Amino acid sequence: MRMLGVFEKGERIRHIGHLDIQRAVQRGLRRSGLPVAYSNGFNPHILVAFASALSTGACGLREIMDVTMAREVTETEFLTCMNRAMPPELRLQEARRVEDRHPALTASLKAAMYELRFRDAEQAEKLIAAIPVLMKRETVPAVRKTKSGLKECDIKPWIYALRGEGSVVYATMALTEREACKPPMLLEALRREAGIPEEEEVRLLVVRTSLLGENDAGVFIPLEKL
Amino acid sequence: MNMNDRIESLLEKVQKAPRYTGGEMNTQVKGWDEAPLHFVFCFPDTYEVGMSHLGMKILTGLINDQSWSLCERCFMPWVDMMEGMKAQQVPLFSLESRRPLKEFDVIGFTLMYEMSYSNVLAMLEMGGVPLERRDRGESDPIVVAGGGCASNPEPISDFIDAFMIGAGEEVMLELNRVILDRKEQGWTREECLKRLAQVEGVYVPSLYDAEYNEDGTLKSFRPNCPEAPARVMKRYVDNFDQAYFPTRTAVPYTEVVFDRITLEIMRGCTRGCRFCQAGMLYRPVRERSLETLVRQAEALVESTGYEEISLSSLSSGDYSCLPELIRELMRRMKDKRVSISLPSLRIDSVLKESLEETQQVKKSSLTFAPEAGTQRLRDVINKGVTEEDLIEKARDAFEGGWSSIKLYFMDGLPTETTEDLDGIADLAQKVVGEYFKVPKATRAKGLRVTVSCSTFVPKPHTPFQWAAQDTIPVINEKQEHLREVLKIKGVNFNWHAPHLSYLEACFSRGDRRIGRVLKRAYERGCILDGWSDQFKFDEWMAAFADCGLDPAFYANRVRAKDELFPWDFLDCGVTKAYLWREKEKSDRAEITRDCRQGCNGCGIQRFPGLCAYADPKRNQAPSPSLLPYEPAEKPEEDQAEGRNA
Ligand code: SF4
Repeated sequence: MRMLGVFEKGERIRHIGHLDIQRAVQRGLRRSGLPVAYSNGFNPHILVAFASALSTGACGLREIMDVTMAREVTETEFLTCMNRAMPPELRLQEARRVEDRHPALTASLKAAMYELRFRDAEQAEKLIAAIPVLMKRETVPAVRKTKSGLKECDIKPWIYALRGEGSVVYATMALTEREACKPPMLLEALRREAGIPEEEEVRLLVVRTSLLGENDAGVFIPLEKL
Repeated sequence: MNMNDRIESLLEKVQKAPRYTGGEMNTQVKGWDEAPLHFVFCFPDTYEVGMSHLGMKILTGLINDQSWSLCERCFMPWVDMMEGMKAQQVPLFSLESRRPLKEFDVIGFTLMYEMSYSNVLAMLEMGGVPLERRDRGESDPIVVAGGGCASNPEPISDFIDAFMIGAGEEVMLELNRVILDRKEQGWTREECLKRLAQVEGVYVPSLYDAEYNEDGTLKSFRPNCPEAPARVMKRYVDNFDQAYFPTRTAVPYTEVVFDRITLEIMRGCTRGCRFCQAGMLYRPVRERSLETLVRQAEALVESTGYEEISLSSLSSGDYSCLPELIRELMRRMKDKRVSISLPSLRIDSVLKESLEETQQVKKSSLTFAPEAGTQRLRDVINKGVTEEDLIEKARDAFEGGWSSIKLYFMDGLPTETTEDLDGIADLAQKVVGEYFKVPKATRAKGLRVTVSCSTFVPKPHTPFQWAAQDTIPVINEKQEHLREVLKIKGVNFNWHAPHLSYLEACFSRGDRRIGRVLKRAYERGCILDGWSDQFKFDEWMAAFADCGLDPAFYANRVRAKDELFPWDFLDCGVTKAYLWREKEKSDRAEITRDCRQGCNGCGIQRFPGLCAYADPKRNQAPSPSLLPYEPAEKPEEDQAEGRNA
């Protein structure tokens, strides 16, 4: 069996990169005393996968780990043991037991919801005012980092929902292997529309609030519920 | 922007922000108001270096375990962060509560190496604390320091209020108690310092005066008030086996230099190498019992989740039941997939078997430290390694499937000649030869013999404390020669320019006056000297010139037998008379036996019961444990934590 664990990457540790978070979770699993499964081979490691890497600098409210267990464990047991073993910045909120044949999270991941929390109210106002303009455009060009280098792309079809309130921009955007609009790409586009000059610094906190999959009816639902 | 915002905005820009954010597993500290005494442990080097340091884990754990004190952490920021902090007027803050250093009651530095002294100054100044102790007022923190370099505290004594000499785990709480009492009783700073001076193992520099002869040597050094003892006694751990050892240690998110569990299996060393300060300072040798070590290992594996344990001591191969310990650890850790990294010097036949069985050892490179190239010079430094020993071990290793060996040497040792340097090449050549003697079919591919050479630095409290260091041009010549003779196929030669060692030599045997040079160099921009890309040798030399002091006086001068040394007022266990005897034997290339073969009268025998080998009634190894070891049940976990209730 496998256990899907929904966890938070807290603001305090938002500068920790994905590889380090992975290692911290591995060590947390080791501390938990849970019957986790190990890979075979010379350097055995715990079988744990993550739905999606969260960039350095961002925090996440509902990130998902996918742990292969060596024995049957209940969801409550998993949660209690893990929360005793994890630092407060990496709390688990929910656990869901799934069968081994449950599809891999990375394969079902379709989109993510984000909050872009701006530090400066004035800037936020300008950026939020630019949302309707942006959404009316046919195409929104952006540059995307891929394994083979920088690539030009059109992010317009990847922005599923976008609104602003106070000094926060709420966005739901595509997040798959091939199509992904990451917060910095959106920010670039918004800045352009708002006419904020390049040299002006825009400070913000990026929070990924949810990872989404698509159900049979073609509706986005939280990935861990799929 | 408020302070927190300013810090956050800096963190968004610097490289390696996690150095400054804390929040690691097992670092939860109580709230500021939950304990009356606030201590900040400062490590004068980067986070990655500091978080690898066992002493820091022990002391932060110890202080936090007391209901009346809390301990936060602070490291030397990297250049980018430092510049940002200056520009944004952000004072140096603790990782936990982000308070500036000046808001703590006690600031504690650990002094591991001399070349971190400029970082101490930088941290104090950035933390909002007056740099020199004489400028500190009633509301400023008490700045304390300990660690290996406190065995000659004088060079940095202008900046430290009190030093802890010897085992920190013993003196730390007593010192904190006095400072807490001050807070409650309202004593003046001076009164507090005088009371601190009465704690055994504490040295308060403001209570002592130094006078100098015309030639620059020390004329006299004495207390200037009745409260300060004329001689300061080093502190020893009462019962090493039962000494405080934290069972929940911090687990950094990012990779640090030593990212694993460190088990201190033994303190001290019986071998008596004459260049080795640690070997002299950490006497006598004391072992931790198998029971204690296994209990500590299990508790740490459980609380940290680390996947590797390394055994630490000055000479782990000498631990009296090493094979048993390793086997026991492996047996218990197998299911948890924890690997044990071994002291490489003892891959004997007993171990080989169990290693091959478990496959738990990675065949990384093996390290040997012959230190000198000829038997004569090894006798001079009392390094009890023979050529046959080394060659045999190399053969064993190559036969056992290793292909990479590191050999450590020193250049510039007293009495060293070209012959000794050639000896280094000769040894390397012989090691290479052993590799090729192993049949091609069975030996591992990719022979790599790395010869590393560091420049000898004479240290206080060693038999070489009277010796001169070679001058920089001489060292350069010797290294040039080594480069020539070490052009051997399969051999890599690593060396370091001698400049840092030269400064280290100045400061390790420096006096009070050299503190001015330190301050001047800091003003000239010297910080992070241990990092080669930051080290500014010319500025250091200019600082010496500014202060009218000659570095050669400290580094390159042979001292007379009866010269009064700045560190002579400290009783670190080993007596000056013993050190001089050792020095004379060294001049005759005469070796001194290992303490396990009999006491050599180093001075520790003055303290009854301290050294097991000095006790005539117990002329035997201290038996750490009765074997075989099978505990009846799981050892009580909170024993260590409950100790201080
Ligand atoms: S007292 Fe004797 S046996 Fe003990 S460390 Fe000193 S010389 Fe060695």
